[in-house]
Amino acid sequence: MNVYTERDSGSIVADFLSEHAQVLSIAFFFALCVVFFSYTTDTFLTSRNLLNVIRQAAPILVVAVAMTLVIITGGIDLSVGSMVALVNAVAAIALSSGVPWQLVIVGMLIFGGAIGLLQGWFVAYQGIPAFIVTLAGLSILRGIALYLTQGYSIPVGKIPGFLFIGRGTLFGMPFPAIVAIIIALIGYVVIATTRYGRQVIAVGSNAEAARRVGMPSRWTISSVYMVTGVASAIAGLLIAARLGSGSSNAAVGFELQVIAAVVLGGTSLMGGRGSMIGTLLGALTIAVIGNGLILMHISPFFTQIVTGTIILLAIWLNTRIFTARFRVPWARKPEHS
Amino acid sequence: MNSTLTVAGDEAINEQSPRLSLRAIRKSFGSVQALRGVDLDVFSGECLGIVGDNAAGKSTLTKIMSGTYLPDSGSLAIDGEPVQFSGPADARRRRIEMVYQDLSLCNHIDVVGNLFLGRELTRGPFLDRARMRNEARQMLDALDIRIPRLTVKVEQLSGGQRQAIAIARAASFKPDLLIMDEPTSALAVAEVEAVLSLINRVKASGVSVILITHRLQDLFRVCDRIAVMYEGTKVAERKIDQTNLQDLVGLIVGEAIPDTGMADS
Repeated sequence: MNVYTERDSGSIVADFLSEHAQVLSIAFFFALCVVFFSYTTDTFLTSRNLLNVIRQAAPILVVAVAMTLVIITGGIDLSVGSMVALVNAVAAIALSSGVPWQLVIVGMLIFGGAIGLLQGWFVAYQGIPAFIVTLAGLSILRGIALYLTQGYSIPVGKIPGFLFIGRGTLFGMPFPAIVAIIIALIGYVVIATTRYGRQVIAVGSNAEAARRVGMPSRWTISSVYMVTGVASAIAGLLIAARLGSGSSNAAVGFELQVIAAVVLGGTSLMGGRGSMIGTLLGALTIAVIGNGLILMHISPFFTQIVTGTIILLAIWLNTRIFTARFRVPWARKPEHS
Repeated sequence: MNSTLTVAGDEAINEQSPRLSLRAIRKSFGSVQALRGVDLDVFSGECLGIVGDNAAGKSTLTKIMSGTYLPDSGSLAIDGEPVQFSGPADARRRRIEMVYQDLSLCNHIDVVGNLFLGRELTRGPFLDRARMRNEARQMLDALDIRIPRLTVKVEQLSGGQRQAIAIARAASFKPDLLIMDEPTSALAVAEVEAVLSLINRVKASGVSVILITHRLQDLFRVCDRIAVMYEGTKVAERKIDQTNLQDLVGLIVGEAIPDTGMADS
């Protein structure tokens, strides 16, 4: 504390490494998984299977991109799985009763956004912890879905235009994968290059500072829950179109997979720090692990145990890197009350 | 009890009308009288130090000046014209800036981003990084602040550099009055020197500065005048060349204060 040291400007490489340590580590871990399953199974590294992995990962990735924004603000959205189920069910009910599918899509996106915004309002303007608000949302939204469907699965019917969303391919790519990649790209651009992205980071990094400089901090916080609502609606539609039916039991445990993907990608649950590339890799890693273990003919019950363990391990490693990196600046920081 | 006690050596410093003038400011929080009638003037281009023990009312006073708190009674005037702040944004519009003790920096955003926090330069919805970087460099150069690379995250900087960025940001709003709450309290020796000379450069550019500090030796480096607070009142004002460390310590702890001044609490 007594020594004043100017930073050397020669530490660019070190800065880059420490700045991107978590993305690099998840990239390495992802590569490790791919290599492992390529050697242990014959079918993993076939284009057919890889496309299947991406197709299955699409709903998680779409919501994980939005969840990255929420977690960067220091919040959490536990309601996304229930939101997916509700949209899934409502969309199927609407389609089976003859509403044009284009209208259903637009309506569901607005519906998801509105519910998300309502939750965001409770978080940002009423000061209720996001954990509580969205935990209530998790229960309520799933409950509504169950009530509407009475627990039954509702067939969508033969609507080629709608089913294409979940099953079709474009330029040899599954359509859901294209949707997910486009959304991931938008997410990256938003967080890295726009004023809105800057506001999201600022609010998560130091909400009081953001408020003092006149940023619309409350609106920013509410808006990220609206984004997860819209993203959940997209995921719900993708799943309904893939399965050709809507069910209130869709996407159980989905929120945990999404949060795991985001955290695995190096986004800090404390807010302020996040990476879209990390989230992309995190979502793909979870999908690859799930897919690979099935191909290895490991019991699907065991898959959950392995997935959980690997997530814990990976995040533990990331957290170690995190603290090692920040010990030095924290020791010098002039924090006091 | 309400009246501000004056001590010998206290006198009007300046003939011109003060840039910011406070009269009979009172503020209570519940049963606690934080301020019990404070008069204070700040003149243009001067640095006024405010000292006092903890709970003397320094922070409350500065928060009233920066619009964070509204006084229960009393009046503020800028350049002789009575004003009433509606909030910090209002104070900023009237060219009063405050550097908070916690600096209000976003650790996860780079130096450029922090300098432009809340007023980012954009092209459409996108950040105009190149232009912000250039202007940030100019901002820092104008105050002779050396930060090797402006794209490092603020969390990677030393305490002194972070303080310098917070001051540069406040100065870039072109304030007439800059209030700093304990800018040097947590800094290493060399960093304190850098921040003090930065304060002098800000002052030299014509900005009035109010400096709150517990480090009395700093006052003699940058201040023209010192106001001493005690239990919610201003008990003394001293020109810097009419006082010394021992005198100030006496004023702060209350040894030089007549009994009547303390009876209230």
